[in-house]
Order: sequence, then C-alpha cells, then structure tokens
Amino acid sequence: MALHEPPTISTRALSRSFDGRIAVDGLDLDINRGEVLALLGPNGAGKTTTVRMLNGVLTPDRGEVRVLGLDPSTDGDEVRRRTGVLTENAGLDDRLTARENLEYTARMRGYSLTEARTRVGTQLDRFAMTEVADLQTAGFSTGQRKRLALARALLHDPEILFLDEPTSGLDPAATREVTDLIGSLAREQGRTVLLATHFLGEAGRVADRMAVLDRGRLRALGKPDDLAAELWDGVPADLDLGGPVDHAVLALIESVDGVMRTEARATGATIAIRDRATMARVLATLTDRHIDVFGATIRQASMEDVYFALESSFAAESQ
Amino acid sequence: MTTITSRPDIGAIRAIVARDLCAVRRSKAVVIPMLTVPVLLMVVLPLVVGYAARRASRTGARIEFLDSLPAQLSDPISSLPPEEQLLTLVLGFLLAPLFLIVPLMVSAVLAADAFAGEKERRTMETLLHLPVADRDLFIAKFLTGFLPAVAVSWIGFAAFTLVANAVSWGIVDGLVVPNALWLVVIFWVAPAVATLGLGIMVRVSARCRTTQEANQLGGAVILPLVFVAVGQSTGLLLVDVPLALGIGAGIWLIALTLVIRGASRFTRDRVAGNS
Repeated sequence: MALHEPPTISTRALSRSFDGRIAVDGLDLDINRGEVLALLGPNGAGKTTTVRMLNGVLTPDRGEVRVLGLDPSTDGDEVRRRTGVLTENAGLDDRLTARENLEYTARMRGYSLTEARTRVGTQLDRFAMTEVADLQTAGFSTGQRKRLALARALLHDPEILFLDEPTSGLDPAATREVTDLIGSLAREQGRTVLLATHFLGEAGRVADRMAVLDRGRLRALGKPDDLAAELWDGVPADLDLGGPVDHAVLALIESVDGVMRTEARATGATIAIRDRATMARVLATLTDRHIDVFGATIRQASMEDVYFALESSFAAESQ
Repeated sequence: MTTITSRPDIGAIRAIVARDLCAVRRSKAVVIPMLTVPVLLMVVLPLVVGYAARRASRTGARIEFLDSLPAQLSDPISSLPPEEQLLTLVLGFLLAPLFLIVPLMVSAVLAADAFAGEKERRTMETLLHLPVADRDLFIAKFLTGFLPAVAVSWIGFAAFTLVANAVSWGIVDGLVVPNALWLVVIFWVAPAVATLGLGIMVRVSARCRTTQEANQLGGAVILPLVFVAVGQSTGLLLVDVPLALGIGAGIWLIALTLVIRGASRFTRDRVAGNS
C-alpha cells in the first residue's frame, strides 16, 4: 500500500437493526488495499449484514461507510461495479447451466455477448469447470457450486471481493483449494478481500488481520498473533483424557493453583496455565484421583484459543 | 438507496428478462399450469362447446334466452339467421370473457416465480449485489411476467379464432371472431388484466418466502377477481366499443396504481431485509 493511501474500505459507527433487533452496532473498521481481513464470528454475529451494507444492498441506520472512496448508500451501482460478492448460498439458478449462470451475469454487468462469452470461457477454464459447463447446476456438488459462484464473483476483475462463508459445506480438500485461491487473489493480484467466516482455520490461513464480531459489535481487531498475545493470558495446554470430561473433572483442574481457565474438548480439555510448573501440579492432581492422562501438551496460543477466550469473555459479559 | 440514472439500463434489463425466461422454460412447475389453462380455455372448450352448438344450430330453433335481454344487447344476435344465432352467441360472446383468465393467470404464475421464487431459490441476493438499479430490477421482473402473459394471450386468441371459425364454418356466414369488441379486449383489456395480476402478485410476493405460498395467497386475491372479470366481461362484450375502452381504462388505472406502489416499495433494502 502506498504511504498515506486511504483505506479501501472504511466504516465509522456503522449500525443497522431489523425490527428493533441490532444486527451491527457501531462498527469501526479500516481495510487497506490488497489486505485480507477475516470477519469472524458465530452465526448471527452481523457478518452478512456488514457485507450487505458495504456493498450498498442495505442502508445503515447510523454511521458512515466508504468503499473505494464512495458511499455505497448513494453510489451503490458504482461500488457494485467494482466489487465481487460470493454469497453464503452460492445463489445459482439450478434451472440454468453453469455457463448460462455466468453468461447472464456478465450480460447484466454490461458486457457484450462476445466479451461475456470470452470472460466466461476464461473463468470456466480457471476453475476447471469446462467439462461441466453445459450441465444444469442442479446436480452440482457443494464444492462445484462454490467454485462456480467464485468464478462468477471474479468475472469482472473486481478490486474488492466480499466472500461470505466461502468454505461452508466444503470437504477439507475443497476448503484448502478455496482458501489457497483466496490467498493468491490478494497476494498475487492485489485484491482487497473481506472474508466473512465462522471457521477459524481458513481465517488463520489467509487473513492478514481478523476482526471478531459478536452480536453486531466488534470485539477484537488485529493480526492473529497480536490478538493471541493480547487476549490469551497464560500458556495454553491440551490434556488428552481419553474422552469428554464432566464438570467435576474441570472443576478439579481449575482448583489447581496456577490454572487460569478450562475448556472441555472432545478428548479432554484445553487449559490456560500460569507457567510450566502448573502443568506438573495438574498432572499430579489428576493422577492422585485415578484419572487417566493419555497426553499433555504445552503449546503456543492459536487462533482457536483466542476465539474461545473471546467467547468466554462475551458469555461473562452477557451474564 | 441506489443512484437511479435517468435512463433505464436496457442491456441489464434484457439480460435479466432473458435469464428468467430461459429458466422458466425449463421449469415444469411453471410451464405446465401456464400452458394448460390457455389450451383448455382457448382450444378444448371452444371445440367441445362449439361442436355442441353447431349440432344444435342445425335445428334452426330460436334462442328464447335472447328475449330476456335488452333489445340493444340482443339485436346483433337476433338479427342473424336462426341457424347462426347459437354459434355466434356461444363462440362470439359467451366464451369470450373466459379469455381474460389467461393473462391474469399467466402473469400471476410468472410474477410469483420472479419475485417469491427468486427468494425461495436464494438467487435474489446475487441480483442485489449486481450494479443494476432498483428500478431496473423491478422493470425486468415486471417484464418477465408481462411479456409472456400478453404473448400467451395473443397466441391463445389466435388459436381460439381458428377453432371458433373452423367449428362454425359452413353454418355462420363469415367470421365469428374477431370483431371490434374482441379487438378491444385483446389489445386493451387483456394487457391491463395482465398488469393487474402482476400488481397483485408483486405485493403478495413481498410478504411470502416461497412460490407456493405466493400462489396460494395470490390465488385467494385473484380468484374472486376472475369471477368478477368473467361476470363483468360477459356484459362488456355485449356493450359497445367506447364502454369497453372505458372499462379497460378502469382496469389499467387500478393495475398501474398497484404496480407503481409495488415499484416504490421494491428497494434493495426492503428485499434484502425480507430475505
């Protein structure tokens, strides 16, 4: 990014509610050109509403938005000419073929028939969909649908990409394929990407920064490592106890001096401890009570730890 | 919400209409009801009823029902030779009002698919994220319902004309249809009725999440109108051209009011907020 270049996307106190229910509440966000920002949060956190407001589909109740220097509320068509959107549902008309879905979109974007066909051909090749191009999309797998929808979002070489849950419903291989593509779109082609997701994995792999939304409010914003350092006090550790643990075991672990937090997991628990010595005390306590410990790992704080730490703080706040 | 340029984006409108009609052509759930009713009303019914009337006409008996009508209504038929009266009454007048069901039904079915169906298929949001003004989106959706409704009506009328004249061939001297009143109905009243169906369904679809729901709710509003239309237009075809033009103008007025109000409520914000 050039020095002092204004952010590509900027919001101040952006708010929107529906029938009295707050969807986005006072969102302040700056996204720079060529940056991938993951908008992270559970379902209903306000991610889709944010994307809709940034692209001029919804009008904010309060606050300001600037996208490429334009106000989407008044210059919506101009903003949408320069952005591409992958909606959570691929939004394909299953009565049309893959090629028709793309061609009609290209025509709606103002391309001539010849240019539309050329662009569609290029995208179908790029996303390895030429062989199924003339099949109706009704029989497509979720992965094919997402790829086709992504191809459609890129038809017009947008400067900004809004990707709403691009990997939901995909198998691990397809997820990796899509996240790699998202990374290359930003790093090699200089596109700004807003990735709305509730999957930490893909956010961690491709995002330069992440913003965590909860019930419409921005709870954390920063580089993943910085957030981890800021939000995760203590050292994270995983305990393999051979299966899920009950509240009594969690309470027992929490009673050990130096244990700061516990979180049940499928195979045991993730805990936050003050230092390495605490782990020795935890193991001794569990062994004294004849609780089998199959493994104990002290590690660096991950995105997941940050997310769960935030969730715990949201829950505590709401109580 | 969206900057409305002074001129509609014809290219985008044409692309949306083309896409919708391409999709509709492949949807049996839309095509079958859209074609069944016109075929029944415009081909099968005149064929069966016309054939029965043809057989009855050969007796040359007078139609006593005409005596109960005011002279100005019955005169055009009473003045015909007795063997022509029944066929002319049935094919030229009594069946004709049913014709208005066709544009009403076709436009309603297509409007439900274009508005509520788009929500149901979750394809509306994709459209909302395109650089197409709200007004142009609405125009495209309107035309998706209006153009086929008028086309089906006119093609149906052409088929009806063939069937009606073929059935009465050799008994009625000249053509039973079209006549001046028929032309008013076809080119003035039928498009108005199609617009009325669209106006109703645009409003109904805004409240519904599925095509089926829209069709059910729309049917509850439209069916009584069908009965009224049939009853009223029987009289319409027995009156003179200026009055028929006036009735058509009344339908246009109501239909356009509904459509314009629907258009003013068709904003991205509302549509996205409801989806």
